[in-house]
Amino acid sequence: MWSLKRFPAPWLLPALLPVAVMTIYPVAHALWTSLHSVTLLFPGEPFVGLDNYQRVVTSNYFWDAIRNSLVFTLLAAPSVVVIGTLVALFLQRRFFGSQLVRSVVLLPWVLPGAISAVLWIWVFHPSFGVLNGILRELNLIDGSIPWLTSPRLALVAVVVAHVWTQVPFAVVLIMAALAAINPETLEAAAIDCRSRFKRFRHIVFPEIKAMIVVLTVYNALTAFTSYDLVYAMTGGGPGTATTLLSFQIWRESFSMYDFGAGSAVAFIVVSISAVLIVAITRALPSDLFERE
Amino acid sequence: MKITALLAAGALTSAVLTAHPAWAEDVTLDFVVWNYSLETIQDNVKKFEEANPGIKVKVTDYTWPDYQDSIVLRFRGDTKTDVIYGGQDWLPAWAAAGFIAPLDSVAPAGAVEGLTKDIAGFALTDVTYKDKVYGLPYYSDTISFIYNKKILADAGIPVPATWEEVTAAAEKLKAGGMEHPIVYEYNQELPNFYDAFVAQAYGRGAELFDKDLDPLFADPNNEAYKQLQWIADAYAKGLVQSETHESKIIPAMNTGKHAFTIVFTYVLAALNNAADQPRAGEFALAPMPGATHSTLGFAKSYVVTAQAAGDPARAEAAWKFVNFMAGKPYTVAKRWAVEKGLGFGQLPLFEDKDVIDAWGKWTDVKALGAQAAIAKAGTYTEYSSVWSAYFRPLLAKAMVGEASVEQTTKDGAERWSQLKEQFANR
Repeated sequence: MWSLKRFPAPWLLPALLPVAVMTIYPVAHALWTSLHSVTLLFPGEPFVGLDNYQRVVTSNYFWDAIRNSLVFTLLAAPSVVVIGTLVALFLQRRFFGSQLVRSVVLLPWVLPGAISAVLWIWVFHPSFGVLNGILRELNLIDGSIPWLTSPRLALVAVVVAHVWTQVPFAVVLIMAALAAINPETLEAAAIDCRSRFKRFRHIVFPEIKAMIVVLTVYNALTAFTSYDLVYAMTGGGPGTATTLLSFQIWRESFSMYDFGAGSAVAFIVVSISAVLIVAITRALPSDLFERE
Repeated sequence: MKITALLAAGALTSAVLTAHPAWAEDVTLDFVVWNYSLETIQDNVKKFEEANPGIKVKVTDYTWPDYQDSIVLRFRGDTKTDVIYGGQDWLPAWAAAGFIAPLDSVAPAGAVEGLTKDIAGFALTDVTYKDKVYGLPYYSDTISFIYNKKILADAGIPVPATWEEVTAAAEKLKAGGMEHPIVYEYNQELPNFYDAFVAQAYGRGAELFDKDLDPLFADPNNEAYKQLQWIADAYAKGLVQSETHESKIIPAMNTGKHAFTIVFTYVLAALNNAADQPRAGEFALAPMPGATHSTLGFAKSYVVTAQAAGDPARAEAAWKFVNFMAGKPYTVAKRWAVEKGLGFGQLPLFEDKDVIDAWGKWTDVKALGAQAAIAKAGTYTEYSSVWSAYFRPLLAKAMVGEASVEQTTKDGAERWSQLKEQFANR
């Protein structure tokens, strides 16, 4: 009577209920907070409608932060996917020590953001950084390049560090997608076509396209909501050069004690993320999101 | 029958508890700190527990940049928290929000008054809100102008006494090949980013607010306005290298590639620590450049939460703990001073021979005493930490030339006035 085919919903409840409790309730509470004046220092939590959103959008940090977050995302997400794909294609080949190299490539993935930040500060530091040291040894520069203290270079530096932390995950997923391709198809392609690029374009890419779309969406979201690594490397500076929108959720809530405004920023981040997902899936159509 | 049995069991349990007072008295305090020298904190806690059987202390630590928001989360989430490190800039807001309790509410009558007589003026101001004392100093320090003696001597440059002389010295060093003579702790997320600016402005003799707490710094003739312009000019001339934290300033200064910095005074102890710094001994503090040489003095404190104050057993234990850490005979404050070079708010320690001997290894104690004597407290209100969080990014932009000093100070003054009005109408 209560068969899965006739009544699928009750069978899904045990899985859906925890998700609903752990996701819908906090999101609904955050939405409620964003529509109320919830500040630590004032009594009461009166309804203020869209006032928090208006105040956030007209504040002097908002457009800097949104521009930085979008530039950061546009630079980081495609870089992770492209580099991840290239590394996966390379590691798919068997060579002496390939197992060891595959393990080492994964290392940045297991490091917490704060630790990665410390490593990259030691690379980019103007006074005692490895990068300036090497460039100086090679006589490529005379003085130090202010990687973390010049507004333009700082954003590039944090993008590089972020890409480094995210590439291993992309490598793992692309390697899994590559492993799923029928070897006979690859063999036939190798006989029919000598150009590696053409083989990749016409045979391999269509097979891993769905994974690339997933990775692009995932990395766009990761970059857009990035916080710990950038915060630990530059503290959002110099000036507001690396201040991201995700910082503002924290700053409004915990530095300015205004949880209403913090929740409003969070909902703006969620809305932009949703637009990003739609934009990416439209720009890179695959059968992943299509109905049967 | 069953009820009789239950009553008997209850009576028996009560009798057992009464017969074992240690069980009844056992209290565990949750002590929340930022993680500066955690091993020393743990050792102090251990000594307290040995001296106070029946009271256990659980230490929870956060990094300095994460501390304030972690504490606010604990307050908001009603997480058990008894004694915390307080900062002068957060204390009025936390007191106004009812998160922390006046020490009088947990201490025996007269005990707090007996201790406050020994506390330095600016430190006492920093732990007081609406005439009630909310904390006892964990440490109390000043922000100092620090220079490399050897670099200046080698270059034949006298110790600068004004900010204009600092510019001249830095330009001379830069012309001699030093890329960035000044290292600046530049991190808009840290409260001390604003404090360091205030300390420099105090050196010039600035008053940032009038007696009615109206902002004065947006006036181009105000010394704080001039100091922000000075910093922006120094950045524009390429004289300054930013560092996001004092822990990075210590190795940077020890590369010998920089001559000046402005940091908490205890950083000088770390800079001159021969055990791990290659240029130890080369660093000294000079009076804060400017007409008055004043600087910012401040106190970080041990504060009891309202939560703990509401429970008599925890309140009593919390007071014992705070009194052990910051009260007479000032053993713990002295330990911080001798071992780590932390400043103190307890004036009798200035006469302590061990402190004088220990500090003599890394600084000129007389110069430090002279600086402490003319240090001024900052202006802290219920809304100053909220305002500081708003103003710091503006300050950061102005320093590196992304915004004008005029617009920055104007925006900062306007926001201050808005908050002042909002709180007045609360």
